[in-house]
Amino acid sequence: MPSTPEVILNVNDNEPGRYATSRILHRAGFKVLEASNGKDALRIAREDLPPLVILDVNLPDISGVEVCRRLKAGADTSTIMVLQMSATNIAVADRVQSLAAGADSFLVEPVEPEELEAVTRALLRLYRSEESLRLALAERELLLKEVNHRVKNSLQLVLSLLSLQGQEFQQAGERELFERAIARVAAIASIHERLYQDTDPLSVEMHTYITGLCAELARACVDDAPDAKLLAEVENVRLPTEQGVSIALIVNELVMNALKHARPAKGSAVVSVRLVRHDNDALLLTVTDNGGSHGTEGDEGETQSGLGTRLIGMLAQQINGHLDVESSENARIARLVFPSQIIRPCQPPS
Amino acid sequence: MSAAILIVEDQLLIAWHLRELIEAAGHEVTAIATDTDEAIAAAGRRRPDFALMDIRLRGQSNGLDAARVLYETWGVRSIFLSANLDPQTREQALTLDALGFIGKPFLSTQMAAALERAVEETRGAQGD
Repeated sequence: MPSTPEVILNVNDNEPGRYATSRILHRAGFKVLEASNGKDALRIAREDLPPLVILDVNLPDISGVEVCRRLKAGADTSTIMVLQMSATNIAVADRVQSLAAGADSFLVEPVEPEELEAVTRALLRLYRSEESLRLALAERELLLKEVNHRVKNSLQLVLSLLSLQGQEFQQAGERELFERAIARVAAIASIHERLYQDTDPLSVEMHTYITGLCAELARACVDDAPDAKLLAEVENVRLPTEQGVSIALIVNELVMNALKHARPAKGSAVVSVRLVRHDNDALLLTVTDNGGSHGTEGDEGETQSGLGTRLIGMLAQQINGHLDVESSENARIARLVFPSQIIRPCQPPS
Repeated sequence: MSAAILIVEDQLLIAWHLRELIEAAGHEVTAIATDTDEAIAAAGRRRPDFALMDIRLRGQSNGLDAARVLYETWGVRSIFLSANLDPQTREQALTLDALGFIGKPFLSTQMAAALERAVEETRGAQGD
């Protein structure tokens, strides 16, 4: 028993009945607040947040069952325990109705003082144990938030370190290779941005992830291809985080290549990324550009595109996907079909 | 036209990266501060055009507090930088006329673009 007495709100419009209950509770060492109607009961419950309300079913204004329903629906009052009591509405259907409306227990009046005290103590025990669980959960959430903060901060240190290292390279080719490495790390790192905003850390919403990634890639390539257009059309699907990271890395490789090498004969380069449902069991990723000098012999980025190609192949294998690339003078289309493990379709925010 | 920028970041490696980016874009770093008091003192010594402000700083220090003093005392606005930009943080930052938000981890290109936007936006207010 805490050193300060537990507070109980006793609601009953019948004065002798209310007095009798309050007397029992006082004698048992509780502090008692009283209300004689539903409106006052709701007001006092919201103001004082007692752990327990003892609630008569028959009240002059709002029925006790409705008062209970409102308490359980209120953001602040939903954790309050409700003991419903009645001398008249005591048929099985009445008791069931009260409990269905959210009451935690029901007593038929008249009630023996010992029983009222015992039930009161049982409900207060339940309230305290629920309260400690709520606190533990809140602590866990704080811890998770903290861990996430650390992860993102560490990833920032990695990216900052790599960026500073990159400045040591004097030759343009070397520098570019290093920038590609940074972009790969960034594609992996950026998933953490999405995960924390989200309620579910085990899956990632692909639309924001891939469109965000494409925006970064477009920004990064401004020096190489200032007129290039990058279009992204990504369906609102949630995929398991691991699969999501693989897809992001594949998009990263294909788009970096396309932006680097797409040099159409006329006009500026246009690269488009699409991720859509292929059929019931599969998704289709396509990265299309409007032609250019991919994989030309003696290209200075040859080794690099070698690594890129191997990475794409390995990642496609990782997600059991099938990749084919069609190249012509006017277009190059990479198509990847992979078995989808869609968690659930995302609902548009209402 | 170059801008003078105050860096407020307690992770010195990240601060160094920021300095490189600012200088590579032809701007100047007025100082690197690692907590609220240092940030206010640095802005008092030399007024920056704007600040690049990390939100969680050394000890219990909070970048929002430093940003508030900078904004209310000298009208210096901030680009906010954090690994955790929750809605409450954004809301508070917006009352300080935030120049932008950058989530960590950020990329060099992303930061460079935000810096240029901030330089443009603060240009008119300089030197009066």
